[in-house]
Amino acid sequence: MAQAVLDAPAAAEAANGRTSLTVIDCDVHPYPNTIHDLTPFMSDRWVQYVKQSGFAAPPGTQYPKGYENAARRDAWPPNGLKPGADPDFVREQLLDEWDMKYGILTPLYAAGHVHNDDFSIALARAVNEWQRHVWLDSDERWRSSITVTPQIPEAAAEEIRRCGKDGRFVQVILTVRGNAPYGKRHYYPLFEAAADMDLPVGIHFGGWGNHPITATGWPSYYLEDHTGMTQAFEAQVLSLVSEGIFERLPNLRIALIEGGFSWMPPLMWRFDKNYKGLKEEVPWLRKLPSEYILEHFRMTTQPMDEPPNPQHLLQIFDMIGREDFLMFATDYPHWDFDAPDRALPSVVRGELRQKIMADNATAFYDFERA
Amino acid sequence: MHDVGAQADFEVGQPTRVEIEGRGFVVVNGGTQFYAARDVCAHQGARLSSGRCKGNVHAESVGGHIEYQTGGRTLLQCPWHGWIFDMSTGRALTDPDRARVRVYPVQVTDGRVLLDLG
Repeated sequence: MAQAVLDAPAAAEAANGRTSLTVIDCDVHPYPNTIHDLTPFMSDRWVQYVKQSGFAAPPGTQYPKGYENAARRDAWPPNGLKPGADPDFVREQLLDEWDMKYGILTPLYAAGHVHNDDFSIALARAVNEWQRHVWLDSDERWRSSITVTPQIPEAAAEEIRRCGKDGRFVQVILTVRGNAPYGKRHYYPLFEAAADMDLPVGIHFGGWGNHPITATGWPSYYLEDHTGMTQAFEAQVLSLVSEGIFERLPNLRIALIEGGFSWMPPLMWRFDKNYKGLKEEVPWLRKLPSEYILEHFRMTTQPMDEPPNPQHLLQIFDMIGREDFLMFATDYPHWDFDAPDRALPSVVRGELRQKIMADNATAFYDFERA
Repeated sequence: MHDVGAQADFEVGQPTRVEIEGRGFVVVNGGTQFYAARDVCAHQGARLSSGRCKGNVHAESVGGHIEYQTGGRTLLQCPWHGWIFDMSTGRALTDPDRARVRVYPVQVTDGRVLLDLG
């Protein structure tokens, strides 16, 4: 009779190489444990402000999550820090465990929710310097996203140009629920700076623009909040294309992160059909809306759509029409984490699977920016 | 049969991971009975041993009284996506015909917990 080992360290089944494919994770969330992680990267004026006011964090979520901090229950580090706050633990639990080639950090620190413009700008800058010194310096597999103040586009542009000089920043990050649709001309300086620096703009699940989060008001539950997030993604796609930003900035690239993807084909069909009859409203467009979408946008896979018949996913991919359109993401450390070896069903195989797991991200992001 | 430890080492309602010949299992002391299953969620492979035992939320009607119920079952919730499994059958409560983890008989003999892997 063999004596088993209680709570033994990870064994072979949990070790590296659970997938033999190259893996790039396009959505990893780092979190400051407290504001005191950021104050070393603020001027004395803002350090004193934080101390005197007791400021802890920008306004946060409107709905309690399924789990505390919306985190996987196993993502709390043993040292007591919050999920996503310990670079060593994240390296071990994510990069090493899944033998990832790159992980793109997508901070969700809501600097743009702070109404004091100067403090908002200082917070965004502190998040970027914290990423640079605490995360990017800790492991060469990390790449990151520039936190900005979208409500102050000129300041956002300045921060993009400042951080963009560090090649480890590979995109600008916004949340999908902004103050206004991002195609509005007010935001142009932000997108112009991203295009100038040849940086994609990632538009990520979440945010709150002081509006009800659906077009019909406030829902009751996080279930509705989470499932209905696609409404905001659709609104941003419609805005960016209709306002003609891709005519003004032909090299602008947009990553839609954590919005799912199955909704995109019917949106393109509807958008193209209506454009044919209503194009006089947007005479600057030179081609069908779907052509702008397929050329300028990419989408991450998480949260993976899970039709009861996995073969239907292949039909969705076919309807999208580009094999380079989807990029794998886990959303670590959140509860709706997608595992690299299990998120894509087995019907997605061969070259297509490798494209989604890493190659499409390699083509979209410049991981070796100087 | 595999001896995975002393009965007293397994706190009631606390899922515990054990490893046998490189494979992981989650063992739960349900109070009156022990349960064991593969420590791999049927959905995306999370370690169920990092989850927690809890009741299933039940409402009498829309807007009516809500309470946690187990119905005498030992229920284990996955630490990632929150799927809840009945440890006696291995079936997920919300999708019992499709989402299932393999379960194994457990005996307690002379204060030792024994897994029967067949």
